[in-house]
Amino acid sequence: MFRDLTHEVLPRMTDTRVMTAERPEAEADADLIEGLRRYEFWTRFAFFEVRQRFRRSFLGPLWLTASMGIMVGVLGFVMSEISHQDVAAALPYIATGIIFWGLLTSCINDGATTFIANASTIQNIPLPISVHLYQMLARNLIVFGFNMVIYLIILVIFRPPLGLHTLLIVPGFALYILNLAWLALAAGILSTRFRDIPQVITSLIQVVFFVTPVFWSVETMGRRPAFVHYNPLYHLLELVRSPMLGLYAPLESWLWGLGLLVVGGYLTLLLFRRAHARLAYWV
Amino acid sequence: MRALPIGCDGVVEISIEQLTVEFAILGPRSRLLKNRVIAQATGGRIMASAHDVVRVRAIDEMTLDIREGDRVGLVGHNGSGKSTLLRALAGIYKPSRGRITVTGKVGTLLAPQMGLEQEASGMENIYLRGYLLGMSKREIDSKVDDIAEFTELGEFLQLPMRTYSQGMSARLGFAISTAMHNDILLIDEGIGAGDKSFQVKAQQRISGLIDRTPIVVLASHAEDLVKRLCNRVVQLERGKIVRDEPITDKPSEAEAVASALRDAG
Repeated sequence: MFRDLTHEVLPRMTDTRVMTAERPEAEADADLIEGLRRYEFWTRFAFFEVRQRFRRSFLGPLWLTASMGIMVGVLGFVMSEISHQDVAAALPYIATGIIFWGLLTSCINDGATTFIANASTIQNIPLPISVHLYQMLARNLIVFGFNMVIYLIILVIFRPPLGLHTLLIVPGFALYILNLAWLALAAGILSTRFRDIPQVITSLIQVVFFVTPVFWSVETMGRRPAFVHYNPLYHLLELVRSPMLGLYAPLESWLWGLGLLVVGGYLTLLLFRRAHARLAYWV
Repeated sequence: MRALPIGCDGVVEISIEQLTVEFAILGPRSRLLKNRVIAQATGGRIMASAHDVVRVRAIDEMTLDIREGDRVGLVGHNGSGKSTLLRALAGIYKPSRGRITVTGKVGTLLAPQMGLEQEASGMENIYLRGYLLGMSKREIDSKVDDIAEFTELGEFLQLPMRTYSQGMSARLGFAISTAMHNDILLIDEGIGAGDKSFQVKAQQRISGLIDRTPIVVLASHAEDLVKRLCNRVVQLERGKIVRDEPITDKPSEAEAVASALRDAG
């Protein structure tokens, strides 16, 4: 069951490692792939971190579910009163919005500090530096899993019109996570080099939360304002929220998601290639 | 004849050619994006002091060959490049110029107590640290008894680390880090741990580990520690090698124990 990964990756004795400054790009790319292959390592540590956070508490990680439930419940009630909407329509919308948005913000915020927080490991133990990114993503996906329990409860109570097209959540979620991955990596590299960036990111995300239709809906407006229409995070959110509500995400949102991944992913790769050799000095 | 790790049939070696490692020490101000922007905007004149980046050449065009059987003691003052060289050999710091060729599986003993989880039990820490060092679950399973016995912590292994004394944590960190076998072992000082009787035990364990490992590189301030454990001494100064010679006058076993006790005391 537990295969010995280290020996596969670093076969004893046949392994010769050459380290030069000649091909930093190739080294950076190899780091990303080698990091992925250590999945046993980072999934284990991700689970450990979540358990660790709730050690000695009675509910344990179910606290995540409980606090998310309260948040969604209260917000749903308030919003349905304000906008004279049916709770049955408002709650699933708000629940999916808040849960997916939570995944996004925690990935970006944690991403910003992921290398800094693991400084001593990075400087003392030879590991691909990308394992810290993967571990952070895995940890947030676990937390997300606990939050999704709320969605399941809402699903049972309000029964949104799910159908075959709900399966679009699979490519939608994949696109969502891949976009979060590059956002987190870019945030991590820049934050390690410039220590003001984490603060900038935290405050920026708070503002963006209000201009993005996370808990409020554009349905009630006549037309979409520009800050929604050109808001990349809105389109990303649509990719995962719509299928969960039994709707189709607009084609436009798919294009935004793909475009962001290609452009952002490529730029982040270039950034990572440039920074890779220096990250260990910067942390 | 030294016993080699199972499955070992090739040659373990390290070859360093014209290695230079340089890095920028970033001052708090150069880490501020604001100053970067201002420096750009003012053409870098007014805020010239904002670039408080100091470039350090920690390793300076070094060439060194380490062969199987070498137990190299790296000596030198603080900042002479010992730790940087170890980190470069481990692949943590990347060369700025030159080349390092390493054949064999590298293990590190750079900071044994680093990153132990205070809320986790001693036993959990054995596993976590094992994974961190690249062991598989099965490998750790096979070593856990040996580690547990060596720490002499007994029932305490089931308690969270935060209940441990400093000496107990030190023993645990040391026991885990020394449980792994590699072809090349990189050690950075502070390898002693705990009280006097433990110090002697630790000494024996590290000697045993060194005997089983084809190549050992140990960085230390203590010349007599190097004399005891190594057969070759390499002295660094400002990132260059100023002395490289075999060690011939090995202290006797009795002297070694006495000296270990002195270290502890």
